[in-house]
Amino acid sequence: MRVLRALPLLLLALVPSVQRRVDASRGAFSGGDDTLYLWSGAQVRRLAPGLESLLADVYWLRTVQYYGSQHAFEGGGGYPLLGPLIDITVSLDPRMEIAYRYGAIFLSEHAPQGAGRPEDGVALLERGVAAQPDNWRLRQDLGFYTFLFLHDAPKASRVLDEAARLPGAPAWLRTLAGDVLLRGGDRATARRIWEELQAQALDPAMRGNAWAQLAVLDALDEADRLTGLVQEFARRTGRRPASLEELVPAGLLSRPPVDIYKVPFAYDPGTGEVTIGRDSPLHRPR
Amino acid sequence: MGSGRLTRIAAVAANTFRESVRERVFYNLLVFAMLMILSGLLLARLSIRQHEKIIKDVGLASIDVFGLVIALFMGVSLVSKEIERRSLFPLLAKPLRREEFYLGKFAGLALTLATNVAAMTAGLLLTLWATGATPDLRLLQAVFPLVLGHLLVVALALFFSTLSSPTIAAVATLCLVVAGRLSDVVRNARTVLPDAPAWLVEAVYYALPNFRNFDFKDRVAYGEAIPAAALAWVTLYAAVYVGAVLAGGVLAFRRRELH
Amino acid sequence: MNDAALEIQGLAKSFRVGFLGRKTRPVLRGLDLSVRRGEVFGYLGPNGSGKTTTLKILMGLLRPDRGSARVLGEPLESPAWRHRIGFLPEHPYLYDYLTASEYLDYTGRLFGLPAAVRAERARDLLGLLGLTRSASLPLRRFSKGMTQRVGIAQALMNDPELVLLDEPMSGLDPIGRHVVRDLIVDLKGRGKTVFFSTHILSDAETLCDRVALLRSGELLRVGRLDEILSVDVAHMEVLVSGVPAGALERLPGVLRRHAVGERWRLEVEERGLGAVVGAVGTQGGHVLSVQPARQSLEDYFFNEVVASGSLDQAWEAGD
Repeated sequence: MRVLRALPLLLLALVPSVQRRVDASRGAFSGGDDTLYLWSGAQVRRLAPGLESLLADVYWLRTVQYYGSQHAFEGGGGYPLLGPLIDITVSLDPRMEIAYRYGAIFLSEHAPQGAGRPEDGVALLERGVAAQPDNWRLRQDLGFYTFLFLHDAPKASRVLDEAARLPGAPAWLRTLAGDVLLRGGDRATARRIWEELQAQALDPAMRGNAWAQLAVLDALDEADRLTGLVQEFARRTGRRPASLEELVPAGLLSRPPVDIYKVPFAYDPGTGEVTIGRDSPLHRPR
Repeated sequence: MGSGRLTRIAAVAANTFRESVRERVFYNLLVFAMLMILSGLLLARLSIRQHEKIIKDVGLASIDVFGLVIALFMGVSLVSKEIERRSLFPLLAKPLRREEFYLGKFAGLALTLATNVAAMTAGLLLTLWATGATPDLRLLQAVFPLVLGHLLVVALALFFSTLSSPTIAAVATLCLVVAGRLSDVVRNARTVLPDAPAWLVEAVYYALPNFRNFDFKDRVAYGEAIPAAALAWVTLYAAVYVGAVLAGGVLAFRRRELH
Repeated sequence: MNDAALEIQGLAKSFRVGFLGRKTRPVLRGLDLSVRRGEVFGYLGPNGSGKTTTLKILMGLLRPDRGSARVLGEPLESPAWRHRIGFLPEHPYLYDYLTASEYLDYTGRLFGLPAAVRAERARDLLGLLGLTRSASLPLRRFSKGMTQRVGIAQALMNDPELVLLDEPMSGLDPIGRHVVRDLIVDLKGRGKTVFFSTHILSDAETLCDRVALLRSGELLRVGRLDEILSVDVAHMEVLVSGVPAGALERLPGVLRRHAVGERWRLEVEERGLGAVVGAVGTQGGHVLSVQPARQSLEDYFFNEVVASGSLDQAWEAGD
C-alpha cells in the first residue's frame, strides 16, 4: 500500500500547524481569581506537618515552571500567581533563600519580564531579611532593589551598609554602599550591581535577567556615545545630521548604528538625542 | 473499510479487552479507591473547599499516573508478548492481516484504558459527593484530554515494541513522555541557552509529542472553564499524532519477520 | 491445471547469524514441491532441516529470499486462500486465559463465521478430539496433549480444503495419536488435502500417500512410499510364538532373530520359508505373521544421510 507508506510522514507534517492552533486556543491561565481555591501559606503549613520541606520544594518547582511557561506562552500577563506561589513556598520553608531572591526579581521587573510590582518584591525581601537576619545576600538584594526599582538611594545605601557588616559579606559591598549614596542614579553603580547579581545568580532565569539588564546599560552607553558623535558632527558641519547614517561617510562611525538585537537606534534630529529603538527588546520605559 | 475487516479488528479488540479483565489489569482501581478514601477521611478537619481541591488534585493526578502506567506497560507488551509466545502464529494463518491485528490490539487497549479511567473518574466524583463537596462534572474536561494523552503513549509504546525489545521500548517511550511533558522548557530553551539556534529549538518543540497539551488539571481544579475550541484542537492534535505513530507502527509490523 | 493443492517453486531462505548478523545460514535451498488435492502428504526430515521454516513462509510469518508458491491455485500473497486452509503451528501457544470453546469461537470470528455456525462447529470439533468435558476449562489448565488437540481443532474451524499441520503428534499420548491419525484418515475420506510435517517416520508410513524427505534445506526425495522404500522379496519376516529359544537356533535359513516380548521375529530367506514354518509347527509353536521384509523409512533415511557422510549436517540446530 503506497498510501500507507506515506501516511506517517504526511500526518507528522500536519503536527506543527495543529500545535500552533492548540497553543493559541489554550489561552492565558488566569488562575488566581477565585480565592476560595487559592490557599495562603499558613493554610498549606497546617496541612502538611512534617512535610514542609518537601512541599516547599514542590511549590518552588511549580513557581519556576509557572514563571517559565507564563513567560514563554502568555508573554507575561502579569504573573498573577507568582506572588501566591512564592508566599506558600517561603511560608513552608522560611530558609529557602533562592525563593526570596527569585520571587523578588520577577515581582519587581517591568513587564514582560516580570510582574512590575517592585513594592511586592521589596516586601518579600524584607520578609526574608526578617526570617534570616544574618543572611548578607538577602539584605544585599533588598538594598539593590530599593535602589534599582524604588529609586531610593539613601535607604538603599543604609541597607547595603548593614549587609556589608554581616558575617561573610564581601569587602566591595561596603564601597558599593558608599557609591550608591554618593552617586545617586549613576549608571556605573547600577552596572556594578547588575554584574554582582549576574555573578551570584543561581538560577538561569535570574542570570538571564541580569544579563538583559546589563545589555540595556550597554545600549544606553552606546546611545550616549552616538549622541556625542552627533554633537561632534554638528560642531564640524554646523548642522545636525538628518540621520545616523550620515555619520558614516563623515568618518565618525564605522559600523551601522544598531544594538545587539540588530534594532537601529532612534534618532531625534530636533534634539540631537539618540535613544534605544522602541522596537528593541532592550527598550525600557522611563 | 470492508465489513470483514472491521469485524476482525473488532474481534481482536474485544479479545484484548477480555484479556485485560481476566489478567487483572484493573487491580489499580483498588489502590485508587484506597487513595480516595484516605484523602476523604484524613482531610476532614480542613474546610470543605480545601478538602475539595486536594481530592481533585489527588484524583486527577492519580488518574493521570495510573493511566500512564497502564498505557506504557501494557502497550509495550501488547504485541511483543504475542510474538514472543507465538500466540500470534495461528492467528496470522487466518484471513487476519497484520494491520488488522495491530489496530485491533490498539483498540482493545484503548477500550481497557477508557474503562479504567471512567471507573476512576466515577470514584473521584463519588468521593467528592460523599465528603459533602460538589461532584463537579467539569472534571471531565480534564479527564478527557488525559485519556487522549494516554492513547498517544500506547501508540508510541506499540511502535517501539515492534522495533525492539519491550524493555527498550518502555525506556524510549518513557523518555519521550518525560520530554513531552517538559515541552514548555524546550520552548523556553533560549532563555537558558541563548546560543541555541531558534529553528532547532522550534523543530524539537514541534517534533516532540507535546504532552502538556493534554494537561488541563490545574485549570479545572481551580474551577476554570476550558474553551471548547481548545479541547477541539487538542483532540485534533491527538488524532493526527496518534494516526502518524500507528501508521508507522503498522508499516514496521508488516515488515517484521516472525521467527 | 489445478488439482495441485500446494505448489512451491525455488523457495529459498537464509537467516542472519553471528554478531551484527554478518553471516548467513541457509535454511532452505531452492525447494520445489507439489502436493496434489486429496492426498495426505508427509513432509519429513530431521530437526533443523527446514520443515517449520517452509510452513512459516507459506503462512506469511517469514519472507522468502527467492521463489514462489501457490496455495489452492492462488498466489502466496493473495489473501483469498486463507479462508480455505487450516494451520497448526509447532508447539502452539493459545491464549491461556480463554477456555477451549472461547478460543474456537474467537477463531471462528476471524473467519467471519456466524455465531450459530461457530458454536456448532466448536462443539463438533471438541467432541471429535475428546475435549467435550474440558470445553469450559481455561486453557491454562490444559495438559500439553490437550492443548495440541485444541490446536488441531482451531485449524479445522473453517472446514478447510487444505490442512497444514506442523508436528501434529507432538505431545500426544498413544490415545491422542490414535485420535489424530483417525482424524487425518477421515479428512482424506472427505476429499481434503492434508500436509503435515513430522520427524516421526512411523506416523508417515501409516498415513501418507506421498512423502518428501528434506535434509539441510534440500529435498532428498519426493514420491510414494512404496516407490522410495525398496521391498526386498528375497527375505521374509516371520513372527512366531511358543517356540523355545534353543529350538530356534537349530532352524535352518534363519538369518536373524529378535525377541519381541514372548515372541520372536525371524528374518528368513525366502527359499527356507517352508522349512521354518514346518519346524515351528513341530515344536508346538505358532506362526503369527509372514511378510516381505521391507526397508523401513528410518533405515532408508539413515542410509541416505550416512551415505552422504553428513550426519552432523543433518542435525543442525533450529528449524
